[in-house]
Amino acid sequence: MAKVRILPDHVANQIAAGEVIERPAAVVKELVENALDAGATRVEVEFRHGGRSFIRVEDNGGGMARDDALLALERHATSKLAVAADLDRLHTFGFRGEALPSIASIARFTLQTRATGDEAGTEILVNGGKLVHVRECGRPVGTRIEVADLFNSVPARRKFLKTDATEAAHIVAGVRLHALACPRVAFTLIEDGRVVFRSPQCADLVGRVAEIFGRQLAAELVPVEATEAGQRLTGLIGRPGLGRATRHELVTFVNGRPVDSRTLSYAVIESYHESVPRGRYPMAFLFFECDPAAVDVNVHPAKREVRFRSEPAVRGFVIRSVLARLREIAECGRRSAELPATGGEQRPTSNNQHPTSGLPPLASAIPHSASHVPPAPASASPHSAIPHSAFHLPNSAAPAPPIENQESPIQNPSWRFLGVAHGDYALFETAAGLVLLDRRAAHERVWFERLREQFGSGTVPGQRLLLPQPLELDPVAAALLLERLKFINAHGFEVTEFGRNFFRIEAVPDWMEPGDAEPFVRDLLGALRDGRIQGGNLDAAREQFARLAAARAVRLSAAGGEEQMRALVTQLFATRVPLTSPAGRPTFIELNHGELARRFQR
Amino acid sequence: MKFKINRDHFANGLAQVLNVVGSKATMPILSNVLIEVGKDHITLTTTNLDLGIRVKIKADAKETGAVTLPVKRLATIVRELPNVDVTVDASANHQVKLASGGSTFRIMGIGKEEFPPLPDFGDDKVFTLEQAELITMLRSVDYAQSTDETRYILNGVYLSFRDNKLSLVATDGRRLALVSKELETPAASAGHIILPAKSVAELERMLGKGGKLKISFNDRRAAFQIATDKDTSGLIDHIYLYSKVVEGNYPNYQQVIPKETHQRLKLERELFLQCVHRAQLVCSEKANSVKIKLTTNLLEITAQSPDFGEAHESMAVAYSGTELQVAFNPAYLLDPLRALTKDEVFLELKDEVSPGVFKTLENFVCVIMPVRLS
Repeated sequence: MAKVRILPDHVANQIAAGEVIERPAAVVKELVENALDAGATRVEVEFRHGGRSFIRVEDNGGGMARDDALLALERHATSKLAVAADLDRLHTFGFRGEALPSIASIARFTLQTRATGDEAGTEILVNGGKLVHVRECGRPVGTRIEVADLFNSVPARRKFLKTDATEAAHIVAGVRLHALACPRVAFTLIEDGRVVFRSPQCADLVGRVAEIFGRQLAAELVPVEATEAGQRLTGLIGRPGLGRATRHELVTFVNGRPVDSRTLSYAVIESYHESVPRGRYPMAFLFFECDPAAVDVNVHPAKREVRFRSEPAVRGFVIRSVLARLREIAECGRRSAELPATGGEQRPTSNNQHPTSGLPPLASAIPHSASHVPPAPASASPHSAIPHSAFHLPNSAAPAPPIENQESPIQNPSWRFLGVAHGDYALFETAAGLVLLDRRAAHERVWFERLREQFGSGTVPGQRLLLPQPLELDPVAAALLLERLKFINAHGFEVTEFGRNFFRIEAVPDWMEPGDAEPFVRDLLGALRDGRIQGGNLDAAREQFARLAAARAVRLSAAGGEEQMRALVTQLFATRVPLTSPAGRPTFIELNHGELARRFQR
Repeated sequence: MKFKINRDHFANGLAQVLNVVGSKATMPILSNVLIEVGKDHITLTTTNLDLGIRVKIKADAKETGAVTLPVKRLATIVRELPNVDVTVDASANHQVKLASGGSTFRIMGIGKEEFPPLPDFGDDKVFTLEQAELITMLRSVDYAQSTDETRYILNGVYLSFRDNKLSLVATDGRRLALVSKELETPAASAGHIILPAKSVAELERMLGKGGKLKISFNDRRAAFQIATDKDTSGLIDHIYLYSKVVEGNYPNYQQVIPKETHQRLKLERELFLQCVHRAQLVCSEKANSVKIKLTTNLLEITAQSPDFGEAHESMAVAYSGTELQVAFNPAYLLDPLRALTKDEVFLELKDEVSPGVFKTLENFVCVIMPVRLS
């Protein structure tokens, strides 16, 4: 008897299922993608017991005729692809034709569908890969698929499932991603008869994020848009200074497909390295679009990962775009802080008056403008319409302040100083509410830019010390210091070798307290040692040097008076990135009127 | 406890002891002043445990006793009382009645038992000095104290009594001021202390009210007994100031004072002060240095900041050495020039990396490290 044989279809399907369908969330993903590929504008997902006992996905898409429906249950049957070259032009989520037969082979699978124009619908019931019946049924145009008793024919797989709550969480997360990807499709998600979220068709991504992740989070996001050489980046990014402990709110889509793209997420994280604290992750909902030929989605069975033809190009593009946007936000913040106090009565009355609400104008401006701007016209790609209404805001959001006040923005900032709390936080009243300024973070930012400028100009005055500070190092650090001595001495220090592993600090930058010199040099060596300061790039090294130095340079006087605090605000807004400290912490937070009213339950 | 007192004397006495009380006292009793009634005077004492001050004021005692009262509030009230005659009367529960003309105050006090006693001194080293002399010496070095809390050793003035000399030193690691005078220092009494900045400030405030002062110290504490014989505002006997000293080893200041003189300039203090001060007007936080350039018989001072502009000052001096240039933080030049009172000072320079040294004929030295422009 021949040892090698061709596997029967149902076995092959089960094997395929093993790859594609690893857990109930995968079933939901495949079915939702099918619904979206079918052009649905409404998708309803229901599941019970973490999806293991029941999953239903219903849409109002194109539907299928009876023959198509039967064929769809065969392996490698698909309407999305005809020849291999199509793989390079994929606009649909699915393409392999594996999902339906795989699911049908491991569950009790009911498909009801009616194509536009057909008089009656088709109902197909498959149980564990065996066709039970095919009959006519009544249903509106669209498709409804029920998957019950998942993994009934593969008990081993069932054993590997996590608790219902975990599986449910995976499903919810997956559906959310798809809902984000397609704001123009209404989504409903029902778990055990309870609606988890219901989001009607949204005009833009902001609305969708607000529906799904909450209004609070949506208010912390600003739109981003950039196009370059066939690549396009749209979406929302978090305001500088706001970080999250996990990467869960850093969501990337490639050509509308939610993916875990290291290239994209690392590019975003890198762009934010100065805007969120170390160890925290930025928030972003980013849509990257490019020629389908430039990206390979066929690398992961569940298509969670993609591969770009040119990773560096994508990376560079994303970093450039996000950084440019972050700078713009800083710019807006700066300008609005210089606006004169207007008082509460001058509320914005038309679109071009947004920034009267002070800093930061975008949070309040986006929802506000969304109601003014008519929904963007529908276009072929669902994402191109995303936050269209918000895109023009960055430019219009900060028009020049009225001329009569322009002459003295410094003497007349819109922030009224109220006091200093606990010595650390300065409190200001602004037209939009209250601002709490972190004195240390603000000083660090000011110092950081001052030092960087000084380093750039090449003259760093060093104050020679009366009593040189001794510095004894371990051999590794000593070697490192010797290697970088020139760099350190070019930046205001005068460190000389004074014996084996022994050095003397004979001069320090003129702003540094002599007592800080030794700890600072040690910090610096630490940074050199763990690679935070690279040797090759002088500018980057200087920047890191300035960052460390700024933290040392700041010495808060016991209590800042009004003059000092005003000067600080003025200096802060003269910097490039006033919203965050060099370490990425926010320099100030704003409590707007709405927030205050809500807290006081007014 | 009951006494009658002149309002202005009382207010003046309270003003003397007020500064010691911190704004955020950890113990409520430390915000209070201890009032003790003696035969013909009252004694006012405040302390923050590091520093304590005691003054005696003329008063008409009716009944001896003691009580403590919140000093800040009390001082404000006493200052504003309508009549010069004030009577103070304390009842057994530490409630104090304060009456003057038509106004009466009732103030809640705390019993004297809780008030921490000022330290007693044992076998201390004792010296007697002229107040006028000490205050001049303190003022000629105090600006050089460090304000960097991490170098607490330098947050004070070092007083050394040895080798038949009293020397006062202050430094912040970038400049050092030293002044000394001859004083008999028996071997048994020789020693040194670091007097904390706050005590220095209080001491300077107290001095000048009389002729002599007596200083006694050991390695933990110092006490100053300040005569008030020239005072006319009610103070009698002595003011006592008790201070903890900064414990630790003061850096070896001798080694930073250059032994040799290279180029020596005689300068008119006022003129040089004004030139440096004017040049400094263009300095900014980013560019905080003035450059001194010496050529034959000419001293030039220049300063510039990239975002503002530059200043150039020149003055004629007697100089015949080699041309030299050196830059300093202007504040470090101005401080000693302002503190000194003599018309003439000497400035010694060597090169751009060596310290500048101010000297006077009265054993004053101020060493200033230059700023190096890389």
